[in-house]
Amino acid sequence: MKKILSIMLALAMALSLCSFSQAADLPVITILFHGSNVSDDTAVLERVNEYIADKVGAKLEVVWGTWGDFDDKATNALTTADSDIDMVFTCSWSADEYNSFAKKGYFVKLDDLIEEYGADLKAAIPESLMQAATIEGAEGKGIYAVNGFKDTATQNTWDVNVTLLSELGYTLEDVKNLGFYGFGEIFAKAKELKGDSFYPFLVEPMVAERMVTNSIIIAGDAGSVNLLSLYLNPDDVSAEGAYGNTILNKFATPEYAAFVEKMHEYYEAGYINPALAVAETSNDTRTNAQLTGDYLIGTQSYAYGYEYAADVLSRGIEVAFVPCTDAYVDTTASQGAMVAINSASNHVEESFKFLALLNSDPTLMTLLNYGVEGIHYTLDEDGLVVFDETARSTYSPWTNGMGNVTILPDTQSEGKGFREAFKAYYAGAKAIPALGYVFDNSEVANQMAALSNVAAQYALALDCGAIDPATELPKFLEALDAAGMQAYLDAANAQLDNYLSK
Amino acid sequence: MMSAVSKTRRRSMQMNRFGPGAQALFHIVLGLFSLLCILPFIFVVIISFSSEDSIRAIGYSFHPLSWSLQAYEYTLRLGDQLWRSYFNSFLITLIGTVLSVAICVLYAYPLFRKDYRLRGFFNFLSFFTMIFGGGLVPTYVICKSVLGLSDNYAALIVPMLFSPFNVIVMRTFFQTTVPPDLIEAATIDGSGEYGTLPRIVLPVVTPGIATIALLNALGYWNEWFLSLLYINKNMSIIPLQYLLMRMQRNADFLAKNASMLGADASRAALELPSQTLKMALVVFIVVPIACAYPFFQRYVVAGLTVGSVKG
Repeated sequence: MKKILSIMLALAMALSLCSFSQAADLPVITILFHGSNVSDDTAVLERVNEYIADKVGAKLEVVWGTWGDFDDKATNALTTADSDIDMVFTCSWSADEYNSFAKKGYFVKLDDLIEEYGADLKAAIPESLMQAATIEGAEGKGIYAVNGFKDTATQNTWDVNVTLLSELGYTLEDVKNLGFYGFGEIFAKAKELKGDSFYPFLVEPMVAERMVTNSIIIAGDAGSVNLLSLYLNPDDVSAEGAYGNTILNKFATPEYAAFVEKMHEYYEAGYINPALAVAETSNDTRTNAQLTGDYLIGTQSYAYGYEYAADVLSRGIEVAFVPCTDAYVDTTASQGAMVAINSASNHVEESFKFLALLNSDPTLMTLLNYGVEGIHYTLDEDGLVVFDETARSTYSPWTNGMGNVTILPDTQSEGKGFREAFKAYYAGAKAIPALGYVFDNSEVANQMAALSNVAAQYALALDCGAIDPATELPKFLEALDAAGMQAYLDAANAQLDNYLSK
Repeated sequence: MMSAVSKTRRRSMQMNRFGPGAQALFHIVLGLFSLLCILPFIFVVIISFSSEDSIRAIGYSFHPLSWSLQAYEYTLRLGDQLWRSYFNSFLITLIGTVLSVAICVLYAYPLFRKDYRLRGFFNFLSFFTMIFGGGLVPTYVICKSVLGLSDNYAALIVPMLFSPFNVIVMRTFFQTTVPPDLIEAATIDGSGEYGTLPRIVLPVVTPGIATIALLNALGYWNEWFLSLLYINKNMSIIPLQYLLMRMQRNADFLAKNASMLGADASRAALELPSQTLKMALVVFIVVPIACAYPFFQRYVVAGLTVGSVKG
């Protein structure tokens, strides 16, 4: 019996000790990415490590966080000061939210490193992005993450099924001219043609609300359901909107009331799928209908070149995106994808050198993003990237989550000259007057939690038109007031005034 | 004489019998209850065999418009990862169950022995952790930095080895089924401490062990959070359950953040596995553990009735 016991004990100890230890001369730096779909990175990392050995003086390891597990992995690594993760993706919408985590001291301040090693980086990334990353952090005002150069402006568009639209006898001009409040007649015709089970208006309700009322997301507002609105000037996004630089209760404006009333009318007429009004089914239903081309007009938060993306091309219909306003640069979009260095890291210098190289060196960026030439992709006679579908399915990281996507080569589906046009498009985007403002909600966190609960109950159904605003909107507003809307609003506005006066 | 015996027997049988009406009612209630349990699973199986087009057109249905093996074909093409994860699930469940049951029994046994002086202290030690946990962050730090549970099988097994709840159940089971006289008798007959537990006590408490083993096996089989926490680079050791949860969580995340991710979100949605695939994986996950039930059931039922026979 003693023998068996000791064998069991030895087994348990052996189990806990069999960790993988790697001996290498160069220090290992590890980066945690978001949204990856990678199951085999051996070929890529082998070449990456060959390439960066001299330039960075370190060996790279990657933790391929997926959409679903990134938030847990990132907050865990940062809050437990885990020195095994040197670099981590961060942005304005992930759980390791850039502004708050920088303020709490989880990220290394990069200003000195940029001064010392960042000449190439500064040349590769527009000044405005550096500006957008400059915030008040734990070690004072400065840059706490390398800001990726991607679609850095927001533009909401109507996603139009042109094939069906022309069948109905309308043109894109008509969609532009009729606008949201005039869509009714097209919907009626579409419904007549396609039958009762067809829902022409495929909305992401919250996005539709922002598009129609020309309001924007306030960074730092409640995440699940936005409570605050700042109104844009639709004719010139860099000028002040109808209410000036004042943050408003999203649900208490006449614009909102008019929007939900019209939505209710469309909903009652059967233009909107009831499944869109249920939080659990809303997104699945919308994505499904969108990917199969089963709609007439939808909403889409747009990125340049989206017309040529695989998911649009595979819909089997002709798709066009009709913008409501010019593209605008707001805090949310300009902090959309960044990579920060964990303050617990033991290899800060190497990590920064790596990030600087990743954002300025096309070879490294292409290798890490598109994979190895000859394995994951080949180049056609025009030098355009053609992906090998099988190999790509084992290695497709989230392009925008990595950094400077403008130094990537054009792909065959995008066409030659795409990156140049992309850069020009976003260079031309205007900044909203309150760019850089982030609402620090810590002082009103209790109100925010209570308000979020109230909003979760009403907002989606109202935005989707599923409930009658005549009776439900007043109830909603009352419940919001009772949950402390005024205090929440006052805090946001006081901070905005303070920010703008600086 | 004969008739008297048969009369009493009949009477006693009648005492245990309900009228046909009541019997029918019980059958209906229990039948409905069984249906409630089994229907969702049948539904999952049907969905996994439905065609994707049918789900798009009419949603989930018991009568899909058309059938398809597409999801299973896709699963089989997942190839390596699927089978490796399947193997991992089995391995983790097997090792985890054996070790955790051993630890549980070895911890509970002294707690039941009245002649063990530190009973109270160790009882409290395990009970305390049931009420006050360390919280996620300290647990993570201890497991990862101190115990080195990171990117290895041990990380998926060790954190769940000890369950104070099971120890209490096991201790109580010892107390109710093993009379102290039995141990005394064994000692008198010359059985040492190392012999008494395996030879005398364990055969008496098999139903209890089976129950604990079932609970632990289920726990290990269904565990995915440990993989999320501790497996970062070595994806070849993740269990099947985590493979499924990852797909589910990816879909949930994209749904929640669609407006933030804009065009990226619908691009990513294209890469997500279909509804039927998810259901096919559920079938893969449920079938083996469902097959394990009958083996345990014998002991668990024995455990339920053991007390009544004695009375």
